Amino acid sequence: MTTAIAINETFPSAARAITIERGTPLARLAGVAKTYGSGETAVAALSNASLEIRAGEVTLIEGPSGSGKTTLISILGLLLTPTAGEVWIEGKNVAGLGERVLPGLRARNFGFVFQGFNLFPALSAIENVAIAIRMKDPRARNADAEARRLLELVGLGPRMKHLPADLSGGQKQRVAIARALGGNPPILIGDEPTAALDTRTALSVMELLKELAIAQGRAVVVVTHDPRLERFADRVVRVEDGHIQAITSSGGQRESAPLHLGPDPRRSQS
Amino acid sequence: MWNLARKLLLHDRLRFAVAIAGVSVSVMLVLVQVGLYYGFMDTASSIIDASKADLWVGKKGNESFEFATPFDDRTYYRVASVPGVLHAERLLVNFSQFKLADGGDLGIQVVGIETAPGHHPLLTPWNVIAGDTRRLAEPGAIVLDRSEYPKLKIDRVGHITEIAGVRAEVVALTSGIRSFTTSPIIFTDLRTARSYLPQLGTDPVTYVLVEVNPGVDVAAVQARINALPHLAAYTTHEMARRTRTYWSERTGVGAGFFTTAVLGIIVGFVVVGQILYSGTLQYIREYGTLKAMGARNSAVVRVILSQAMISAALGFVVGAPLAMAMRAAMKGANLTVALSPELYTVTAAITAVMCAFAALLSIVKVLRLDPASVFKG
Repeated sequence: MTTAIAINETFPSAARAITIERGTPLARLAGVAKTYGSGETAVAALSNASLEIRAGEVTLIEGPSGSGKTTLISILGLLLTPTAGEVWIEGKNVAGLGERVLPGLRARNFGFVFQGFNLFPALSAIENVAIAIRMKDPRARNADAEARRLLELVGLGPRMKHLPADLSGGQKQRVAIARALGGNPPILIGDEPTAALDTRTALSVMELLKELAIAQGRAVVVVTHDPRLERFADRVVRVEDGHIQAITSSGGQRESAPLHLGPDPRRSQS
Repeated sequence: MWNLARKLLLHDRLRFAVAIAGVSVSVMLVLVQVGLYYGFMDTASSIIDASKADLWVGKKGNESFEFATPFDDRTYYRVASVPGVLHAERLLVNFSQFKLADGGDLGIQVVGIETAPGHHPLLTPWNVIAGDTRRLAEPGAIVLDRSEYPKLKIDRVGHITEIAGVRAEVVALTSGIRSFTTSPIIFTDLRTARSYLPQLGTDPVTYVLVEVNPGVDVAAVQARINALPHLAAYTTHEMARRTRTYWSERTGVGAGFFTTAVLGIIVGFVVVGQILYSGTLQYIREYGTLKAMGARNSAVVRVILSQAMISAALGFVVGAPLAMAMRAAMKGANLTVALSPELYTVTAAITAVMCAFAALLSIVKVLRLDPASVFKG
């Protein structure tokens, strides 16, 4: 099955048609490790973690507190540099790159959704989305129109001029999802995006994320403690004590860690 | 960025008001203090600036207009005969006592100028608002400034009193001619001035004002006069600067005014810095989120700098009229606050720089902000 992420003419950097076959790897971690501190006080937060993030799939990352989930998605989202291992994005191992290059890579590839929404309280929903678009790409000319389109996509068209304080928790998270979609990144990373929401709202947010994966071919990676969300997952990654203990597909099959490293399978067409 | 900066500032209106108040007070203090300083300095050299002389000649060692050692007429004639001198006039400046209506005495500064019918002297009272300065040639005729009325306890042109026991009649009034020493300035004819200053001996002269022949190099004439024993010649500009420097440095008045102005800048710096920093801390997770999603440091820094510049601009817009109001209020107390377009421009630039520096702590905070921190708690 092939799905297409819409061309976003707002962003010169993303103004390319990306045709991605469902299941195509978009990012890979290979033998990634992260150790905080050194010597006797060194703490190994993550060891030998390998994971493939695929287009059109929802991947849940589960595990107890302190198990290494956050470290895993921080490295995946290029927010944290691993101590060892490789991080493949856009066909390149980017593990050793610095902050001069990483913001551009993050802007092109990742959108983030957080438990606490992290919306500017002084800005309306549309302004929160538009400012993120402009921050990602200062050359963006139609940021307001794009923000409007994204808010309509997440079902918040009628409330786009409301301040966060005037929105419910679920609505705020939808604004955060719309903001994460700004710049048309292929990968959405959610850090417990439903933890602050009631059950019904949490499920509707997950439905939206699932829909974005299926309809738009995005890869959705969600860290959660909530086992009720597993029904939305194509794969569940279990992390304990800094190790990926198991990767289970929705059919209950266990996967082995990805061994193949190679160029980016995405094909770009102008 | 401007829109985001504006909305972040305005979101907490009380905090925003405090920031603007801080910058406004800072702007007002800088403008008023520096304006007062320039006002005083203008006052200190106002008589020199008003003269039409090319050169001021006095005894060597004179440091200011007011405190000058007198010499006699022979020196005046030596100066007048220097090649290149078209015209030379005697000026006598010293302190005397003005008899008040209640019987008391008040120290005054006598300025004796050469007056003659049909002659246009190199120095004459200006800003005349009442009476007739042509009467200055009459014995005992004096001209003084209206602002000195209360101090001298007089209320009209025609008032007759005594200076150093000699008759004096007010024949004209000026406006805005005041002395840095706070002693009222009394313009009179040289002969009358000599009668008011008996302590100076026979035919005293304090300065010789020189007009150089057209086409003759002023510096060359100045050098010839400087070659005469015990005399020093200064251009009008140099003379004014010497007097200003004397009052500014010898009295510490310059340091006093500028210290207060610097304190004003520090107050603004601290207030704006604190407000911007607390605002940055308030939105640190949001800034972190933007950085996580690919916003470059430069973009986030622009938001903070924009907040600083908005604070600076609004603070200036509020502070400058406050300074104008202070100037109007101080005018009633005979204080001149010299607010020039240049001073406004420099103060606006200082305010912008002050606010930009005040934003440094916030900028460092967001530059050091680890975007991964948004995942922590």
